[in-house]
Amino acid sequence: MPTSDGQLTPADRTVLTHVLDQIIPPDGDFPGAGGLGLAERVERSSQRSARLRSALLSVLDALSLDISSRAEGGYAALEAERQISALTTVESSLPEQFAGFIELVYETYYTDDRVYKRIGWAGRPPQPEGFDLDPWDPAILENTRKRAPFWRQPA
Amino acid sequence: MTEASTPEHVPAPQTEIQGQTLVAAEGQSVPDVADVLIVGAGASGAAVAWRLAQAGFSVVCLEQGRWINPSLYPTNERNWEILGRHDWNWDPNRRRNPEDYPVNDSESAITPLMFAAVGGSTIHWTAHAPRFHPSDFRVKSLDDVADDWPFTYDDLEPYYDLNDLMMGCSGINGDPAVPPRSPRPMPPLPLGEDGKRMAGAFDRLGWHWWPSDNYVNSTPYLGRDACNYCGPVGFGCTRKAKSSTDVTYWPEAIRLGAVVKTHARVSEITVGSDGRATGANYLDREGTVHHQAARSVVVAGNGVGTPRTLLMSKSDAHPDGLLNSSGLVGKNLMFHPYSITTGLIPDLSETWKGPMGNILMCQEFYETDLARDFVRGYAFQFNRGSGPVNTSLGGAHEPVKWGAGHHEDFAERFGHVVTMAGIGEDLPELHNTVTLDDKLTDSNGLPAPKVTYTLSENSRRLMSHSVRSATRALEEAGATRIMANPLLRSGGWHLMGTARMGEDPERSVVNQWCQAHDADNIFVVDGSVFVTAGAVNPTPTLQAIALRAADYIAHEREDLKG
Ligand SMILES: Cc1cc2nc3c(=O)[nH]c(=O)nc-3n(C[C@H](O)[C@H](O)[C@H](O)COP(=O)(O)OP(=O)(O)OC[C@H]3O[C@@H](n4cnc5c(N)ncnc54)[C@H](O)[C@@H]3O)c2cc1C
Repeated sequence: MPTSDGQLTPADRTVLTHVLDQIIPPDGDFPGAGGLGLAERVERSSQRSARLRSALLSVLDALSLDISSRAEGGYAALEAERQISALTTVESSLPEQFAGFIELVYETYYTDDRVYKRIGWAGRPPQPEGFDLDPWDPAILENTRKRAPFWRQPA
Repeated sequence: MTEASTPEHVPAPQTEIQGQTLVAAEGQSVPDVADVLIVGAGASGAAVAWRLAQAGFSVVCLEQGRWINPSLYPTNERNWEILGRHDWNWDPNRRRNPEDYPVNDSESAITPLMFAAVGGSTIHWTAHAPRFHPSDFRVKSLDDVADDWPFTYDDLEPYYDLNDLMMGCSGINGDPAVPPRSPRPMPPLPLGEDGKRMAGAFDRLGWHWWPSDNYVNSTPYLGRDACNYCGPVGFGCTRKAKSSTDVTYWPEAIRLGAVVKTHARVSEITVGSDGRATGANYLDREGTVHHQAARSVVVAGNGVGTPRTLLMSKSDAHPDGLLNSSGLVGKNLMFHPYSITTGLIPDLSETWKGPMGNILMCQEFYETDLARDFVRGYAFQFNRGSGPVNTSLGGAHEPVKWGAGHHEDFAERFGHVVTMAGIGEDLPELHNTVTLDDKLTDSNGLPAPKVTYTLSENSRRLMSHSVRSATRALEEAGATRIMANPLLRSGGWHLMGTARMGEDPERSVVNQWCQAHDADNIFVVDGSVFVTAGAVNPTPTLQAIALRAADYIAHEREDLKG
């Protein structure tokens, strides 16, 4: 459970790693978000905005207060299916915070170089290279040009 | 009317004085009493500054934002998607820069979007540059709704042409949906594979389409580079291929003697005992109050910033806020409601290549058709796919699902997204308003605007129709999955109607020359003056109106020159 001044404890970081693997699970031999070691970056990225930080803390807080998981040694010790259902409960009880948490996780995962490579994204800045497109060809307008004007002329 | 001319350079900020930065030509001083004081350095303020500086008026513009060096935009950065979602977010409430004012949008179905800087919201805009139709200026006569404008399309046409030259328009003549017009200075931008796919679908359906008019260079133009199709044009263009007024009108205006004071937030337009403007009080970055005296004031703060500034300017002569004897300042707020329908087309790939919006336009459903269950109409614009972060977060739709199926859902979307944005004509309604919030304030403690807006039944029907049509077109184009959002909340790009024009002082705030009924030396030149909204992006129209008003001042108001 995050401390009263909003810091993550080592136990929170372990929970976060498990949560990340449920949110973005492994894909074949490619590790999930937790297995990629993104917990630390998620925590760091949450500093970007008070909204995202509060989303992270609320979700971890809610998971640590989940009574059934506490009885079984905490979230990290649960079977995968129970981990997922605990997250689904948080999603329905704290929809706004959970959406912010998803935003934070996706922002982190989809800016990781290993993920870029996996999905075929160059990961370079848009400029100065840009992209090539086939040049404009006016022949494509042949059909529309045949149409009579249809805008309304006010009297 | 005058000719467009070549901007020679983008001036760097010149002088720092006590928390303010002056952007001015070398050796140019600030007049003690300006002939014309402009509030806001965005799309409309820039056009007026250029035209009046050219006509020999001394022009001082007060802008709450800063001057931005284009090389600082996110598109030069690897993490541009993150910067675009946070520091450069379109929503001032998300961005939270000290130079922005926050907006209370808790009672609005649509969130207003804007930017504060020299260039205003054109720093962020995607530069789609269609014109209104002739029928848009005559909705009362034609369809018995709202009001006619006090001038016609023909009256505005020469100013549209001039603005196209100054901003630089890429496009092509011959569109049967709009009147014939003078040629654009550049050919259209390429359509890309996604654009060509949609064009084919429209041809098969027998629906209209035409390549979009863009204020994005398809060839080098007036000293600015051609677009290299990098994509996220909406976060600022490092090459200056997208026309924002800091790289078009302002360099010219400044060369001609206009001065911009940045970090200068107007708290009040001051008036004399006769109720006429005497200048403005403004706060600098340190919060110190200054006064700039002027013979006339042009308000160009946009459809939210302008009513806010007028409502903050209460005086004995204007007890309900400046220019508000009609009670219409801040009333009749119009957005363009947007529906977003996205198709996933498996055999298209890398749909992130090319400017993020404005590929082509479909105006099949623009004009009123009595067979439909709504009046007026809508147009379609097209948006492209985006990078991995924005794709995963869904844009206008649900994010990619978490847990099992995540990777399949992502793969189905990434690079295969084609989006049809239905832009609808909103009609003016008195209960849609901009007022001053009684709690929320900006970084100087000035009241923030509160926006109250509900979607009308007509607009709701029009949006539903647009989703049905978009679904049909996307399916025809080969989409295997469709996601639809009938009203995009975060789509308040276009801010209109809050200080409307007209000939009757009891039913309007300014006359057809944008001159206030209540004070003959105050002008409002931005989207606030729109009588109705049309169903296309408003900026070429509001800039043409601003140029027309400036021409009126230049020719008819020599008395304002010191
Ligand atoms: C992301 C985005 C995309 C868009 N895309 C398009 C598009 O493709 N096509 C299109 O036609 N339109 C588009 N728009 C809308 C377009 O940007 C606006 O219509 C246009 O910029 C409005 O011009 P304006 O002069 O009224 O106001 P703005 O350009 O918003 O400028 C107003 C300026 O006034 C300043 N200001 C306000 N109040 C004060 C004060 N009290 N003191 C000092 N300064 C003040 C503000 O800081 C701002 O810089 C887009 C907008 C956004 C945000």
